Amino acid sequence: MKGYFQLCGDILFWLFIAPFTGRFFSFRECVRQMVRIGVQALPMSSLTALSIGLTLAMQSAQELMKLGAEAYVPDLVSVSLLRELGPLLTGVIVIGRSGSAVAAELGTMKVSEEIEALQVMAINPVRYLVIPRVVAMLIMLPVLAIFGNCVGMFGGWLICHFSLDMSTAAYIIHCVDRATAWDLYSGLIKAFVFAWIIITISCHAGLSVEGGAEGVGRNTTSSVVLALISMLVANAILTTIFFILL
Amino acid sequence: MDAAATLPLTSPPESVKGRGEPILEVTDLVRKFGDRAVLNGISFKVYRGDTLIIMGGSGCGKSTLLRHINGTLKPTSGSVKLFGEELTTKSQTQLDKIRRRFGMNFQFGALFQSLTVGENIALPILEHSKIDPGIIDLVVKMKLELVGLTGFENFKPAEISGGMRKRVGLARAVALDPELLFSDEPTSGLDPVMTAVIDQLTMDLTQKLGMSAVVVSHDMTSAFRIGTRMIMLGTGPHQGKIIAEGTPDEIRNHPNPMLQQFIRGEADGPIPLKLSKDDYIKRLIG
Repeated sequence: MKGYFQLCGDILFWLFIAPFTGRFFSFRECVRQMVRIGVQALPMSSLTALSIGLTLAMQSAQELMKLGAEAYVPDLVSVSLLRELGPLLTGVIVIGRSGSAVAAELGTMKVSEEIEALQVMAINPVRYLVIPRVVAMLIMLPVLAIFGNCVGMFGGWLICHFSLDMSTAAYIIHCVDRATAWDLYSGLIKAFVFAWIIITISCHAGLSVEGGAEGVGRNTTSSVVLALISMLVANAILTTIFFILL
Repeated sequence: MDAAATLPLTSPPESVKGRGEPILEVTDLVRKFGDRAVLNGISFKVYRGDTLIIMGGSGCGKSTLLRHINGTLKPTSGSVKLFGEELTTKSQTQLDKIRRRFGMNFQFGALFQSLTVGENIALPILEHSKIDPGIIDLVVKMKLELVGLTGFENFKPAEISGGMRKRVGLARAVALDPELLFSDEPTSGLDPVMTAVIDQLTMDLTQKLGMSAVVVSHDMTSAFRIGTRMIMLGTGPHQGKIIAEGTPDEIRNHPNPMLQQFIRGEADGPIPLKLSKDDYIKRLIG
């Protein structure tokens, strides 16, 4: 745990203090990581969001039709996605796809002495390797969550329009009418917190690998499990806070 | 016979006296992992222009010693002075300033797999200078030519052989023209001609450009060719201690039987590689 909090401290230093002392991180590398973590994850997160939007609309329609309240399906889909499912499912996808990749990549660099080579060349590994990944994750996970929300709502529209004979205008009006700006913001706050949890756990797991290929595998697995559990706990805590505050 | 007891563990010989301050000074270095002392009271000095060879059997602590000298590991006790500055008490920022003055050639190159050969060599220059990219390209070409790899700048490390990766590692280590070069087994896995090329390059760097070098090596031909001073670390009962120190001639004629066995590469001798029959039975049945 000490090592983890030390890494978090180092990340905050290189993000917010070091640039004011003339020590910058590489913008080019940040963009490269944004493409890897964000852009390349789009197809997978979109497919997941579409499937969730479709499923959510079908399941809720089935129950609400019994009450004659199928008009509220768009409300349920949009609020569920914005507040909860959008950021959470995107987080799960990103943990499986990018978090594990970051842990494995940094772990392999550790065992092949690349991290030590950076240290010996007086290049701080946190500034050179971790910060671009942190910046990319903090930007791209909320972006993916927004995109996932849109795709999920499109999935809901497919069911409402073709199965419940709801017009597109009615679907949009219901979605916009029910969901508030705070629903979007709370989802984005969650996505941002999830991004921090995922990337710090993955980077720490990678940088603390010991013992060759076996160590890389072990730390990669533990990073996925730990990030997933931490994200679910954080989600419960944040939801409680939002529930109490609002 | 206790081989170490017969050794004249030396004060600096006449050849290194009067050469000013040492560029590297290690004093009573001790490093323990648990109860096991991997380094146990190591002391030596390296002067400007010297090529110090660190020899010793597998597991004797050569690479650990190198990691203490370059500041990636902290000793349990003792002192490491590099360019006159004590490494063991320095902050990360102070350590980084010192590190810009030396280069390190890793045993397996430690090249960044995501970068090309050229980008690997350019990395320290890009990070520590504001040189125009065009000039950096030129420097990269020069360094590659130095290690016989002209035209390989756009290859990825995975696309070249192990020996080539080693040479790229050397090119990267000297990219900033350091005052001191650390090299961990620079010639293992290279063919004899390339070994001679790397040796000649090391000698050129030290003799013509005044660079100093600390080289960990098992390759005795290469070690005697390039070394101006040599130390041998002991194993077994002498684990973590320097059992012999001197110039190549002094080492060649040294009375220590362990050292002679190591130099000649003989399977039988005082280096305890095989257990005696009695010890073997004792270890088996407890």
